[in-house]
Amino acid sequence: MNTIIEPAHAGTLESSDAFVRVIPIEEEGIVIELESSVCEIYGDAIHALVLETAQAMKMNKIRLIVQDKGALDYVIKARVQTAILRACGKTEPDWSTL
Amino acid sequence: MKGLITFSEVPSTSVVRWQKINDFLQSVDLDVSEDVELFIVAKQDDHIVACAGLSGRVLKNIAIDETIRGKGIALRLMSELLKVAYREKRSDLFLFTKPIYQEMFEDCGFKYIEQSHHEVVLMENSNNIEHHKEALRAHKKEGKHIGSIVINANPFTLGHRHLVEQACLNSDWVHLFVVKEDASFFSFKDRYHLIQEGLKHIANLTIYEGSDYIISKATFPTYFIKDKCHIDSLYTELDLNIFRNHLAPQLGITHRFVGEEPICVVTNEYNQQMKKILSTPSNYPSIEVIEIPRIEYQGEPISASRVRRLMKESDLEEISHLVPSPTYHIIEKMLSNIIEEK
Repeated sequence: MNTIIEPAHAGTLESSDAFVRVIPIEEEGIVIELESSVCEIYGDAIHALVLETAQAMKMNKIRLIVQDKGALDYVIKARVQTAILRACGKTEPDWSTL
Repeated sequence: MKGLITFSEVPSTSVVRWQKINDFLQSVDLDVSEDVELFIVAKQDDHIVACAGLSGRVLKNIAIDETIRGKGIALRLMSELLKVAYREKRSDLFLFTKPIYQEMFEDCGFKYIEQSHHEVVLMENSNNIEHHKEALRAHKKEGKHIGSIVINANPFTLGHRHLVEQACLNSDWVHLFVVKEDASFFSFKDRYHLIQEGLKHIANLTIYEGSDYIISKATFPTYFIKDKCHIDSLYTELDLNIFRNHLAPQLGITHRFVGEEPICVVTNEYNQQMKKILSTPSNYPSIEVIEIPRIEYQGEPISASRVRRLMKESDLEEISHLVPSPTYHIIEKMLSNIIEEK
């Protein structure tokens, strides 16, 4: 399991993008707080995508705050991955897990 | 055809550009806050069209020219400002705004905490207040009279001790909050330690480290410039609304104890407003404010400011009559260090 060393963020608040913050927490697991301009229709799908992305990177004890402005799936995924990498102090992902 | 909008960062050391920001803010009826460290500025055709400032963990002076409002500029401006704030390792942020802009900041991930005078809204981007409230709930005690005290104790004196003793005598349990902001002569660590040491003999008392939500620079900036005897009822009300509506209900607080304030204008004003605000009918239980008369030594009330004044005069003899022994020892040590340095 990977834990992060510092809070980090990725993305912007502009339309069709997502702003992702990642913060270390004491408790076990992955906490996701999602706000989306398309929450009613895609909220569950985005939540699942964020969780899946964090799990694929074997993250634990993190809180992910996602402000989605109607971003496409791969944008959200990329923003989450980047935020987590920055929080871990890494510049390259483990490509084999993606 | 109007040109592209570009963003840049302006540090407070840049006098000429700072002046231009000031001119822009004046044009929308705002003043540059003294404590802003840097601005994000949006320019179009070499004119400032929007700006937003960062002061500690508080976002300030956010303004956008009317002619370009509603074009996603606010979200771009906030993205830039948040980037800078996070780069500076400040991730839990606060901002003050007018109620009509609340929704816009909600789009940027900020949540409403409390309002004051129906003029100002305090928001945060972390939702930490909910976590804080949950943590407080774990300390709830049963009883009919649940007292509370908020002190800075800079440093802890016999006056503070008397206040806490009286409160505990008249309550089933007392919750004591120590102002956490490190903006006083004595550090938080020392103040907290001296309070713990000086109150060991009391059983029905819980001592807490303060938080952003009790007299902090984020929620009550003017408290820390009280040497100027400047009081802002807006912030006072905000602080007290947070106490009554958010913190007190978690612990079932029924009373708040304060020391009578014969000298400092700000503290006295705060006490008087407190009585009014905590008892005004609202959706939250009212809290009775009880003023405990100050104890005196040689006809003059014992206060932390008196101790600090005597420290300047190195009058250890008089100090020894005003403070409990743990406080005395630390002052004695501080004074002897100063003499050695000389």
